[in-house]
Amino acid sequence: MKKMTKNLKYIFEPKSVAIVGASSTANSVGNILMKNLVDGKFPGAIYPINPKYKEILGVKCHNKLTDIKGRLDCVIIVTPAVIVPEIMKDCAKKKVGGIILITSGFEEVGRQDLAKQVKDIAEKNDIPVIGPNCLGVLNPYTKVDSIFLPVYKLGRPKPGSIAFVTQSGAVGSAITDLAAYYGIGISKFISYGNATVLDESDYLEYLLEDKETETIILYMEGAKDGRKLLETMKKVNKVKPIIVLKAGKGKGGQAAARSHTGNIAGSNMAYTAAFRQAKVTEADGINELFDFVKMFSQPKQEGKRIGVITNGGGMGVLTADYIEKEGLELAEFSETTKSELKKLLPSYGNVGNPLDLVADSGVNAYEKAVDIMNNAPEVDILVIIVLFQTPPIDERIVHVLTRVSDDRNKPVATISVGGEYTEAYRKILESNNVPNFNSPSGAIKAVGKWVEYSKYSGHLREK
Amino acid sequence: MTIVEDLKILEKNGFQVLPYELAVNEEEAVKIAKKIGYPIAMKVVSSQIEHKTDIGGVVIDVKNETLLRQGFQDIEKKVRGKKIDGIMVQKMARKGIELIVGGKKDPQFGHMVIVGLGGIYVEIFKDVSARICPVTNEDVKEMFTELKANALLEGARGKRPVNKKKLEELVVKICRFMQKYDVKELDLNPVICDHEGYDILDVRFSR
Repeated sequence: MKKMTKNLKYIFEPKSVAIVGASSTANSVGNILMKNLVDGKFPGAIYPINPKYKEILGVKCHNKLTDIKGRLDCVIIVTPAVIVPEIMKDCAKKKVGGIILITSGFEEVGRQDLAKQVKDIAEKNDIPVIGPNCLGVLNPYTKVDSIFLPVYKLGRPKPGSIAFVTQSGAVGSAITDLAAYYGIGISKFISYGNATVLDESDYLEYLLEDKETETIILYMEGAKDGRKLLETMKKVNKVKPIIVLKAGKGKGGQAAARSHTGNIAGSNMAYTAAFRQAKVTEADGINELFDFVKMFSQPKQEGKRIGVITNGGGMGVLTADYIEKEGLELAEFSETTKSELKKLLPSYGNVGNPLDLVADSGVNAYEKAVDIMNNAPEVDILVIIVLFQTPPIDERIVHVLTRVSDDRNKPVATISVGGEYTEAYRKILESNNVPNFNSPSGAIKAVGKWVEYSKYSGHLREK
Repeated sequence: MTIVEDLKILEKNGFQVLPYELAVNEEEAVKIAKKIGYPIAMKVVSSQIEHKTDIGGVVIDVKNETLLRQGFQDIEKKVRGKKIDGIMVQKMARKGIELIVGGKKDPQFGHMVIVGLGGIYVEIFKDVSARICPVTNEDVKEMFTELKANALLEGARGKRPVNKKKLEELVVKICRFMQKYDVKELDLNPVICDHEGYDILDVRFSR
């Protein structure tokens, strides 16, 4: 890892943060960022910089960066683009640790000259710069938060193990908001915008070493450097799974070609080829991305024999269809397992896989069925369908599902399809880190991807 | 560049191409066919003709001299008015599955290679899989599994499976070739394959 990338630690774990362009004006970017740190109880020193103010939110304000005594780890810049090079020179003078450059008005509006100045100063001084034209970062562990969208409008996820790297601020913030809503924890959020100084590959390199990160989500529209991305993805994905969502799937901009290959193989196909070569997991849309993220927090499993429990026969059949379609298998229960399961069913019930507990079964039947399958050696993965519409199911089911997910013995996916009442339970399960899906197809596809990645990483271990 | 020149470069780089020669008149064609041995195929060679099958510029499975003369005249009639280099006389290929092996230089990732279901319907079925060059044999194995046509390659309807090992080598080699010549676009189409091996019939590339 190059020195500049290593220095990102000053941005993610700063002891001091300066905000150049901090403001008292409500809802201005400079004001929201101040609030993020002050209200968010950032434990380090906070230095608002703006010659117009004496203090902001009760914090003493400075005229310029060089007025600050002592070391500065992270500088967030939200001033107009034209004065950014000057501010960066001050940063170099102060030997700051790193810069989050929120400001827009660089390459994206044709100001390559300004962008080049930023790049030159950063590289000469080994100062990592995130952005420009970005939302910056969020680290729930250290409470660094440069997302200039108010907390009441955009929820902040709790600390967790998923890092999220995004080119687009809009997609990034929407996904962050959803993660917060479902109680999915993140380790780092990085919105990198124009990638003028550091690009997507550099962030992946950093996250490879980041101890809080276990899974990485990458959203991008186009790579800054495709070859470098391919090599970096290969390296990182061997250790930590990367789930990628690539936008810009259309054929637009593809040059007219004279060969068949030229006509068929657009840039989109090159990306897909690169993703497959690096063995990263490509998601088709935001919903699928979330499905994968949930499943990828489960224990690794190379086996593909699934035990399905349901309290609705039809939903079990649907699930079984998808299991076949994804190349997974329904586990064949041993005689022991069968006789144990038989005891849970009413006299007219049949032991099968999917195991239909029937609609009048309560939480006790679930609990026993889950335990039996969890201990059955012929079952690799548990898929538990809970239809909350049936009368005997109550809140105790949350405890049963959380316990089996927490013991990390086998991967668990739960499926609940329904309206408002069901959604409320789904949210509770999610915030207890129990993967819950609102469709059998989504759940089983995610299980399939997880088995595929587990096999890949297992295969690496054997080598 | 015409197909003949393209084929020469391929041969020079160690690719096995079906025996062929360019004939500029009927008598030459007869001589070449005798040398190569019947059955043969004839194809018009012209930089002005994009899809030679569509205009009747291809005659296949020619079994003797009479049919050859007739076919030669037929092609000449069909392409009248177009500037042509001649008519290529080529050994008739094996019977088998038509694949395409191709490649292009992508602005972001550099050279990439594709394999897929070949022939004249390539762009209709679009059953292809791609990887970034260079590729390993493992990569190529995966590419085949991504094809719908893989079932055909594995030997559907009582046919024997095609020789994937040789195809893998071909794809690996094509990657090297593209990188060596910095090829912009390349089509080997069709590559006809069976359980023993494959025949490269046609090539088109630009640098």
